[in-house]
Amino acid sequence: MRFVDTVKTASAGLRHAKVRSLLTILGIVIGIASVMLLMSIGTSAERLIVDQVERFGSNLISIQPGGSSSSRFSPPPAVLGIVIKTLNERDLDTIRREPSVAGVSAEVRGSARVIFENNDLATTYIGVTGEYFDIINLEFESGGRFTPFDDDSAAPVAILGPGLADELFGERNPIGKTIRIKDKTFRVVGVISAEGLGLLGSAMSDMVLIPMSVAQKQLLGINYYNEIAVKAADGYDVEFVKSRIISLLRQNHRITDPDKDDFTVRTQAEALDLLGTVTSVLTLFLTAIASISLIVGGIGVMNIMLVSVVERTREIGLRKAVGATNRDILMQFLVEAIMLSIVGGIAGIALGALLAAGVYVAVTQFSTFDWAFAMPASAILSAVLVASVTGIIFGLYPARRAAQKAPIEALRYE
Amino acid sequence: MIHAERLVKDYATGGARTRALDHVNITIDPGEFVAIMGPSGSGKSTLLHILSFLERPTEGAYQFGGRDMTSLADADLAGIRNRELGFVFQSFNLLGRSSVYENVELPLLYSAVPPRERKAKVERAVGAVGLTDKLLVEASRLSGGQKQRVAIARALVNDPQVIFADEPTGNLDSASGAQVMEILERLNNEGRTIILVTHETYTAEYADRHIRLRDGKIESDSKPGKRRTGIDGFFK
Ligand SMILES: Nc1ncnc2c1ncn2[C@@H]1O[C@H](COP(=O)(O)OP(=O)(O)OP(=O)(O)O)[C@@H](O)[C@H]1O
Ligand SMILES: [Mg+2]
Repeated sequence: MRFVDTVKTASAGLRHAKVRSLLTILGIVIGIASVMLLMSIGTSAERLIVDQVERFGSNLISIQPGGSSSSRFSPPPAVLGIVIKTLNERDLDTIRREPSVAGVSAEVRGSARVIFENNDLATTYIGVTGEYFDIINLEFESGGRFTPFDDDSAAPVAILGPGLADELFGERNPIGKTIRIKDKTFRVVGVISAEGLGLLGSAMSDMVLIPMSVAQKQLLGINYYNEIAVKAADGYDVEFVKSRIISLLRQNHRITDPDKDDFTVRTQAEALDLLGTVTSVLTLFLTAIASISLIVGGIGVMNIMLVSVVERTREIGLRKAVGATNRDILMQFLVEAIMLSIVGGIAGIALGALLAAGVYVAVTQFSTFDWAFAMPASAILSAVLVASVTGIIFGLYPARRAAQKAPIEALRYE
Repeated sequence: MIHAERLVKDYATGGARTRALDHVNITIDPGEFVAIMGPSGSGKSTLLHILSFLERPTEGAYQFGGRDMTSLADADLAGIRNRELGFVFQSFNLLGRSSVYENVELPLLYSAVPPRERKAKVERAVGAVGLTDKLLVEASRLSGGQKQRVAIARALVNDPQVIFADEPTGNLDSASGAQVMEILERLNNEGRTIILVTHETYTAEYADRHIRLRDGKIESDSKPGKRRTGIDGFFK
């Protein structure tokens, strides 16, 4: 039988049982749609993260205390609650003098209650050196930054995250007001804008920034840093600057064995890479889960095809009587299953795109995220491919059953 | 053309064994109109199925046009059924949701006939059974007699040498049955071999040779000189 005739015969078979065909593909439609939706969301999320991180400057380098183990997925020790005191003011000064470095600032973190009038909130305060604002591009809703001079003179000034400002002051303007942190009074000089924060928003929204000197000496009583941020000078390769920092710190810390570094230097690109990998793995994982529904859909196709083969036993017998070979019958039923799956796949892609568009509308409506609609061609292509393969895998068994019917047994079947 | 020796067909049904054919010898020449008769369960259909390559015998030798069945693969049998044999069944076996045209075209899909020659062949076959005006009607909408004529057109479409019919009038009223028999008779007059299974004597009278089976054996094989022809004879 010519292939065109096989396709025509198969499509006639499907058309003659429209309702059954539609119900059969429902499983495939749902399976493909959920895979498409997750792949779309994953891609959008990845783009969002990359965009956000790039916004804060791609020439940034971060130094954290404590060495990193060989795996780049293992968290820095600070995250695990281990206090490491290896980064200090001397390191900061050393790096500041390095010609390939445009700017450098340090951070310490602590938690305390912040009080304004009757409002009292548990929060995280970040002590930053005055250069912090030259390195991290923050936007202000009102007021502005403090300067290195404020830091040097231990000025009691504070910059509020948008969430914290909202909770403490409500509708009132916080600029110039006095708040209390750990029995010390601070004057509010700025409020960070929520839009400018992007992805950092959730993390920084409820924090308060104060000068490093105040945080270290008056609130924490320490002389080390939790993090140092470095901005590479224009014209220098970030990787080169990173290597310069590493050798400077090794000198400062008298380290000769690179495996014994007591600090970790990461470029923005590496951080990006890590985030990208994490989202990719997450997307892959979710897609794998969604694929289970595709298998269920495939089993649905197999199930209905088996019923169809039994129902059409006489048709199979007749076709064989008038000259159909086993191969003709096998192909007819296999093509039916594949056509069902491909039609289901295409409908699934459409449904998935629709749902992804719904997510786009919802995210852009209800959040400040710069969410982009993504439906990668590779996802569409693989969906069609997966649907056809599903059709072949789950159509083969019923088709073989059909092909193996003896013509006369099939004709005698009542 | 058809030559079978010592055909045996056994069916195993749940431990018990049924011998449907018991050493049947039969030779049929081109152009014959043979009626296979006998009581229910005597093996008529079984014999027809073997002679028409739908089923293989348990024992015995069968040659069709000089070719030995045992030396042919299943796909070869399908090819011979497609090109050289036509089938008419008691229960029509049409594809109900397909048109008359599509039903008659069916054997051509499994043959090497190029698509552009199909239309003419289908129209000729449908014309031969007088259903040209029903060409695009869905098969399920036809009357019983019309359905059986479509089945005959389908059997004819590849211009076969032999037509096998298993009780083709069994589900029809006598007028439709007579029409069907007349068509078969005409095909026989055109030189085709007709092998008909029937238990109705008046249908058998269209044939020029009667083979009677009983318990899987040939009881008698006769050539009645005179045969009934035309619709007048049918109602006598
Ligand atoms: N597929 C089968 N499995 C088991 N037994 C079978 C099968 N086909 C036929 N038989 C048996 O073989 C014998 C002959 O059957 P066959 O159908 O050839 O009879 P028949 O002469 O055509 O009868 P009828 O006039 O009722 O159609 C019967 O006993 C029947 O039960
Ligand atoms: Mg019978």
